[in-house]
Amino acid sequence: MIAVYTVLPVVLITVLIGVRGVAAMRTTPDFLVASRRISPMLNSAAVSGEYLSAASFLGVAGMVVKDGIGALWYPVGFTAGYLAMLALVAAPMRRSGALTVPDFAEARLGSSKLRRLTAIAVLVIGVVYLVPQFRTAGLVLSAVSGTPYWVGVVIAGAAVSVTLALGGMRAATYVQAFQFLLKLVLLVVPAIWLIVTVGPGVRHEAVHPVEFSRFGHDTAVTFELDTTLRIREVTPIRGSDGVLRVYPPGDLSVATGTRLVFPGGAPVPEANGGRLPGAPGWERPLLDVNGYPLLGTVGVLLATVLGTMGLPHIIMRFHTSPDGRAARRTAAYTVCLLSVFYLVPGIYGVLGKVLVPQLYLTGATDTAVVALPSQVDTGTAGTTFTALLTAGAFAAFLATSLGLLLVVSGATAHDLMAGGLRTLRTTVLVTAAVVVLLALPAAPLDADVLVTWAFTVAAATFCPLLVLGIWWSRLTAAGAIAGVLTGLVTVSGSILLALFGPALPGWAGVLVAGPAPWAVPLAFAVMIGVSRRGRPPSWARAAMLRLHLADRHAMPAAHTAPVP
Amino acid sequence: MTRVRRVTVTSPQTRLAHAHRRADGPWRPPRLDSAETSRALSLYGRQWRRALLSLAALTAFLVGLPVLLRFAPGLDHVRLLGIPLSWLLLGALPFPIMVVLAVWQLRHAERLEDEP
Repeated sequence: MIAVYTVLPVVLITVLIGVRGVAAMRTTPDFLVASRRISPMLNSAAVSGEYLSAASFLGVAGMVVKDGIGALWYPVGFTAGYLAMLALVAAPMRRSGALTVPDFAEARLGSSKLRRLTAIAVLVIGVVYLVPQFRTAGLVLSAVSGTPYWVGVVIAGAAVSVTLALGGMRAATYVQAFQFLLKLVLLVVPAIWLIVTVGPGVRHEAVHPVEFSRFGHDTAVTFELDTTLRIREVTPIRGSDGVLRVYPPGDLSVATGTRLVFPGGAPVPEANGGRLPGAPGWERPLLDVNGYPLLGTVGVLLATVLGTMGLPHIIMRFHTSPDGRAARRTAAYTVCLLSVFYLVPGIYGVLGKVLVPQLYLTGATDTAVVALPSQVDTGTAGTTFTALLTAGAFAAFLATSLGLLLVVSGATAHDLMAGGLRTLRTTVLVTAAVVVLLALPAAPLDADVLVTWAFTVAAATFCPLLVLGIWWSRLTAAGAIAGVLTGLVTVSGSILLALFGPALPGWAGVLVAGPAPWAVPLAFAVMIGVSRRGRPPSWARAAMLRLHLADRHAMPAAHTAPVP
Repeated sequence: MTRVRRVTVTSPQTRLAHAHRRADGPWRPPRLDSAETSRALSLYGRQWRRALLSLAALTAFLVGLPVLLRFAPGLDHVRLLGIPLSWLLLGALPFPIMVVLAVWQLRHAERLEDEP
C-alpha cells in the first residue's frame, strides 16, 4: 500500500506536467528560446535535480553499507566535476550555441561524421546510465510493497516515456528544480528523525563499526536473485517450510524467491564472494579494490570528475542559460547545492550498516535507505518516513530518467535519423521499451559498475572533445573522431571484460574494472596525436576563439550564416 | 500600439539542420574581425591560466586527501564529537572547500571578462 500512496502522487504530478506541456507546445513554438532565460539559481536547482539520480539518493548509502566509508568518495567526485566544468567548459560551451555534444562537435569542427559518432556515444552513455535507474525503481518498489522486480521496472518505463512523449521537456526546468527541493527535504528530514530516534546504542555502534559476523536477532531474508552463500561455520537456518536445519561449512546455493530465517546469534555467511559489512578495512576512508586503495580511489575520482563534464543530459541543461556567464554561474551554484545534499547519504550508510546489514546477503543494499525507518519504528512514524523516502527515491529516478531518455531519443531521432517531432516521440517510446527490456535481466548487475561505465565513457570521449575543442585550436575532426572512438571502445571493452570475463587479480583487476586512469589519458593522447598529423582548417582558430569572447562582444548566432 | 513584426523562432539545432540541407558542404563559422580576435586571444590566455590555477588547487586537494588518509591511518582513531576524524575529512570537509573554490573561480573568471 505504501507504494500506492507515495509513488502514485510523484508519478501523477510528473505526468500532469507532461500533459500541460502538450498545450504549451501548441501555443508556444519558441519554447526553447524562452527557456534560454532560465536564471542561474533556478537552472542550478534543475541541474542538481536532474543530476541527483537514484544512484545518489540510494546508491551511495548502499555502497557504504556494502563496501565501507570509502564509498563517500563518489559524492566528492560527483561534486568536483562541476568545479572542473565551471573552470573549463561551462561558459565557452554555452557560447557555441549548440544544444548537445554532437551539435558542439559539428559547430566547432564542421564534421557530420563526428556528429554521428558522438551521437552513438550519447546513446551508449544514456542507455548504460538509464538501466541502473530503472533497475533501482524495480528493487525499491519490490522492497517496500513486495511486488515482483519487473513491475517496478515497467511502471517506471511507462511513466517516464509517456510523460516525455506527451510533453517533451518544456516544463522540465520547473519539474527538476522542484524535484531537487523535494529530494533534499525528503532526504534530510528522515535523516534527522532517524538520528534522534535510533537511540544512543545505535548511534554509538554507527561510529564504532564492528563486523557483521553474527545476526543480532531473528532475521528473515528474501532472496530476489540466485545467490551463493559461503557458510564459514556450522549455521542453523530456518527454511521456507519453517523447519530449522543445520548447515555445515561450505557453499549453499539459494534459488530466487527463497525466504530464509537466520536465528539470532547464528554466524553470517558470506554472499557472492564479498566481505562482510564492517569487516576490517570497512571503516577505512578509501576505496580499497584488490588491496590498492590509492589507485582505486584516484581512479574513481578521475572517472566521476571528468565524466561529469561530459554527461550529455547535464550539458543540455546548461544550454538553457541565457549566455555563457549565466552558464558559468549555474555551474558554481550547482557545486553549492550538491555540497548540501551530499552531506546526508553517509548518515544513511552508517546507520544502515548497523540496522539493516542483512541486505548485504541479497545484494539489495541499494534499498537500505527505504528499509531504515521500519527498523526504528514499526508504527505510523516508521511507515510515514518509509513513504517519504520512497517518494524521494522515485523523484530522483524520474528527474534523471527524463533527462537521459530525452538526450538518447534526441541523439537517435535528430542526430542519427534527422527526423521531426513525430519521430522524436516514437523514438522516446521505443527507447524506453528497449531500456526496460535491458533492465529486466539487470537485477543481478552491480548498479555502481554501470554508473562507473557511463561516467568513464563520458570521461574518455566527451571530456577530451570538449576540453580540447574549447582550448586547443589545432584539434582536427579526424583527431576528434579517433579520440572519441578510442575512448568509447577501450572503456566499453574493459568494463564488459570486468562484468563477464574472469576476475583479474591485483592492479590489473583495478584498472579493468575502473579504466579511467589509463583510458582518459589515452583518449587525450590519440586526439592530440592524430590532430598533430593533420592540418586544422583555416577557420579553426576563429571557431575556437569565438567561444572565448565575452558575451556582450559575441557575434549573433553563428548558424544563421551557412557558407554557400 | 505598434504592431510587432512576427519572426520565426527556431532552436539553433533546427537552424543548423536546415542550414545543412540548404548548403551541401561543411558548416563554417563566421570569421572574427581583428579587434575581436585580439580581444578573444587575450581573454583566452587569461581565462586559461585562471582555470589551470583553480584546477591545480582542486587536484592538489583531491590527490592530497587520499594520500593523507592512506599514510595516516591514525586519523581513524582520533575522534571529534565521537566521529572518527578520517570520516569527517572525507564526508564533510571536501564540500565547503569545493564551495570556496567554486566561488573563487567564478569571481575571478567574471572579473577577467569585465576588464576592458
